[in-house]
Amino acid sequence: MSESHVVPDQQIYIVDDDEALRDSLVWMLESSGYTVSAFDSAEAFLAAYRETFSGCLVLDVRMPGMSGLELFEELGRRRCTLPVIFITGHGDVPMAVSALKKGAVDFIEKPFGDQEMLRLIAQCLEQERASRSKRKLEADTARRLEHLTQREREVLDLIIAGKLNKQIADVLGISIKTVEVHRARVMEKMGAHSLAELVQHVVTVEPAALGR
Amino acid sequence: MNVPDDFAQSTPNRWYWTAPYVAVVVFALSMLVLVGVLQQREKDNQRNAVARDVQWAEQTMRLHMQGTEEFLGQLARDLAAQTLDPDAFQVRANQHIANNGELVNIAWVGDDEVVRWSAPFDTTDWLAGEALSSFQSPTFQLARESGRLSYGAAYANPRGVTVLEVHVPIRHGREFRGAIVGVYSIERMVRHLVPGWFAEKYRLTLQNAGGSPLAVNSTLRDLDESVSFEIPLDPPGNGLILRATAFRTGGQLPQALPTAMIVGLSVIVLWSLWLLRMHVFRRVQVEKERDRLFNLSLDLLAVVGLDGTFRRCNPAFERILGHSPVELPGRPLLDLVHRDDVASTLEQLRQLASGQPVKFENRCLCADGSFKWLVWSINPVRAEKLVYAVAHDITGRKAAEEALRAESAFRKAMEESVITGLRAIDLTGRIIYVNSAFCRMVGLEEEELVGVQAPFPYWPVEEIETCTRNLQLTLAGRAPASGFEMRIQRKNGERLDARFYLSPLIDLTGRQTGWMASVTDITEPKRVRAALEAAHERFEAVLDGLDAAVFVSDARTDEILFANRAFKAIHGFDSVGRTVRGVAVPQPERGDYRVDPRGLSVAELPRELFDGELQHPLSGRWYHVREHATRWVDGRVVRMGIATDITDRKQTAEISRQQEERLERTSRLITMGEMASTLAHELNQPLSAIANYCAGCVTRMQSGNSKPEDLLAAMQKASFQAERAGKIIRRIREFVKKSEPRRSAVKVADILEDALGFAEIDARRLGIKLVADVSAELPLVFADRIMIEQVVLNLVRNGLDAMNDVLPEERTLVVRARPCGPHAVEVAVVDRGHGISEDDRARLFTPFYTTKSEGMGMGLNICRSIIEFHDGRLIVDANPEGGTIFSFTLPTEAASERVARRA
Repeated sequence: MSESHVVPDQQIYIVDDDEALRDSLVWMLESSGYTVSAFDSAEAFLAAYRETFSGCLVLDVRMPGMSGLELFEELGRRRCTLPVIFITGHGDVPMAVSALKKGAVDFIEKPFGDQEMLRLIAQCLEQERASRSKRKLEADTARRLEHLTQREREVLDLIIAGKLNKQIADVLGISIKTVEVHRARVMEKMGAHSLAELVQHVVTVEPAALGR
Repeated sequence: MNVPDDFAQSTPNRWYWTAPYVAVVVFALSMLVLVGVLQQREKDNQRNAVARDVQWAEQTMRLHMQGTEEFLGQLARDLAAQTLDPDAFQVRANQHIANNGELVNIAWVGDDEVVRWSAPFDTTDWLAGEALSSFQSPTFQLARESGRLSYGAAYANPRGVTVLEVHVPIRHGREFRGAIVGVYSIERMVRHLVPGWFAEKYRLTLQNAGGSPLAVNSTLRDLDESVSFEIPLDPPGNGLILRATAFRTGGQLPQALPTAMIVGLSVIVLWSLWLLRMHVFRRVQVEKERDRLFNLSLDLLAVVGLDGTFRRCNPAFERILGHSPVELPGRPLLDLVHRDDVASTLEQLRQLASGQPVKFENRCLCADGSFKWLVWSINPVRAEKLVYAVAHDITGRKAAEEALRAESAFRKAMEESVITGLRAIDLTGRIIYVNSAFCRMVGLEEEELVGVQAPFPYWPVEEIETCTRNLQLTLAGRAPASGFEMRIQRKNGERLDARFYLSPLIDLTGRQTGWMASVTDITEPKRVRAALEAAHERFEAVLDGLDAAVFVSDARTDEILFANRAFKAIHGFDSVGRTVRGVAVPQPERGDYRVDPRGLSVAELPRELFDGELQHPLSGRWYHVREHATRWVDGRVVRMGIATDITDRKQTAEISRQQEERLERTSRLITMGEMASTLAHELNQPLSAIANYCAGCVTRMQSGNSKPEDLLAAMQKASFQAERAGKIIRRIREFVKKSEPRRSAVKVADILEDALGFAEIDARRLGIKLVADVSAELPLVFADRIMIEQVVLNLVRNGLDAMNDVLPEERTLVVRARPCGPHAVEVAVVDRGHGISEDDRARLFTPFYTTKSEGMGMGLNICRSIIEFHDGRLIVDANPEGGTIFSFTLPTEAASERVARRA
């Protein structure tokens, strides 16, 4: 486990009602160089929660008041993309499984070893980072697509459909030359360096475009 | 008797009686005086009236006479002046005479005392030329000399008429030419010169000086001489007196009448008073007699108002009822009436009010509180608004009647109830009398039996010979003293056994007239004896069949009077007659008895002497021994003992106790099993924390950027968590540890803390708030700590389970501990859960009854056993705010000590 993975804007949020467990977790994770915020209840976390939170959430399944699972569902409603690790007791496995089905990253059963916990956290942070860059690329591509003219969009669709310039010219009833100009403009506007890159970007945003 | 009263009344009576007499006399006298005065005054009045009238009459006469005097004077003057011729004289004189009836004649008498002219011309008294008589001359001379008119004395002329003359002189200058004479008839004067009414009232008389009457106007009527008046008639002079005497008027006539009437009436009044007095004396006499009758009457006599209150009572009231007759008036009659008779008496009184006389009997209250029977006869007198009541004391009669009735009823009852049949026969063997019991016995009517000769209809056909023989023996006087036992038959053919006892029937003269047999139905006694024997056999069979040893021994001598087969089997078949102490073991010691049976008297029976379990010292078997003191058939005080072998039962109880203990422990294990996952979770908490602290420390130490104080703090926290884990483990071990129940003085707070320590884990899992509400200064309780912990944990977990479906805000479970009186502490587990239905509550403590899917249904049952083992009570109540309250009590240490000492 290397500290190079630690990204400053990523934090670990811990929600657990047991003071000892919460404190010991903070101690352990801080020992590993993470920035940790701890909350003693789901309500306290919700009160502090902002969309800009980044990192991962370690959540005790069973808490008085709002339970971990309920907090998880609430976050889902709020379109929170923080990956969640559930801490479960012996009897809560079925509950944890249902949490997994709803999109939680993983659960860890008490008593857990530090390595396991650190591994899961690293995995979560990585995943969060990846998904965030992916979301950034998608947003970028979508924005670029919107800048295409009607004709350029038609040309793009046909390119993705694997048509040659000549075929495109035939379909659209324009000259090959014109097609080439359009094509160059599309590549430029989409910021793609190669045809493969172009197709990949568009398909991540509009998977249906591939089938057209 | 009111003799002094009579005297007292008679004295004022005399006064009363004298007063009317005096009054009447005084009245009569005063009336007489009054009448006299009145009459006197009347007379005076009359006299005054007469005087006035007479004066008035005299005036009238004078007036007339003056008129005539003037006329005569005129004539005289005319004659003197010679202007009067005889004719004119005649005319004028006649006219005047005609107008004045009292005048008889007018004449001119010349100075020679000879009549010249006279009028009326037809008069015979005064004829011209006649000379004056000697009566007349003085008057003429007087007139001549005086020159004034003059009246002569009255005289009777030759015709018997009394006349009065007035001579008026005629003067011509100094020359006397005679006189004009006017002649008045005295008679006429009296008659004509007064008006008619005067004549009605008075008799007018003209008298001469001598008092002899000259003329009277009327002599028709009676005169009242007392009312008269006389006055001289002036100026005629010559002693002529006018006298008026009143006639006797009608009203004046009975002047003595008022006086006579007053006297007469007074006499009548006095006479009637005297009569009245005699009458009253007679009445008083009669009344005194009546009073004596009233007072001496043996019966109660009373006058009662229509409102039912006494007005008057006679002394018999005091004699019979003890009420003073002086106090009774004013009290209502109903006051005296016995409470039970008030209604009927009221009814009678109502009838009385309608005016009918009534007669009834009732009981009346005596002054001393006893009652007397009275027969009342009451008659109303509506006019007086009173009723007259007569009451006769019939208490004696009533008592006699009562006694007679009782006697008669008693005799009748005796006759009815006697069950011995009586039958009499005469010396020939004919039935002469049977009683109803005999009739009932044989089912025949009296008429069917009396007069019948042998064979009698109640002899059974098959027994006729025996019966005939017995009859002959009887008639011969050889009947055995013990009587005959005979079989007889009823009318319906039923046979019965009867015993005949025979005795001679002796009449008043001492002669034997027959034989009397008293007959007893001995069928029932025979049957009863048989039944008793059977019952005795059954009783012995039952007693002998018992496994328990039963004996009866004399309380004093300890001698065994009765023993059943089981007793004999244990203690020897010869045990009857020996002493209990000698044969039976085990025996309660003398000191174990509640009372010493030797000192008991029959009155104190029956009573329990001993009830306890005893072990046979040799065989080791246990017996439940009960001994009673009771009365034996012969009246002796005996001990009755029953000893039951309970060895097996005791063993069973021991096994059951062990099983229960095992069950309790199993239950605890089950509880732990049910809580395993919770406990695991609870253990995981500290374990995970420890792991984390350690891992953190390791990481920091490896990286080398650790500060020793940080590490130290973390390690301290880790070790604290390890302790926490250890505490949980220890608690579990203690909870499931197998141990004998051991009670000691413990703090309730400690028990609750441990129990809630477990329960807290579950509570947290379910999001339920556990609240411990323990009163400060709770006394120590005497209990087995683990067992009570088990109970609390069980109840709390039930409560937590019940609150599964409750809203999160309401998820609170309270465990409360309070003092409950001075000798106990109450612990209550209060949940806000779904509550318990009536149905479930009834079966709550039934073993294996559960409402939980994975429950065993032993929890509450064991809880209750545990609490009862602690002399407490476990009760369940509905929580008024919703949910259920389970509460139990535990004795305080002090209370337990007391119980222990007593035990």
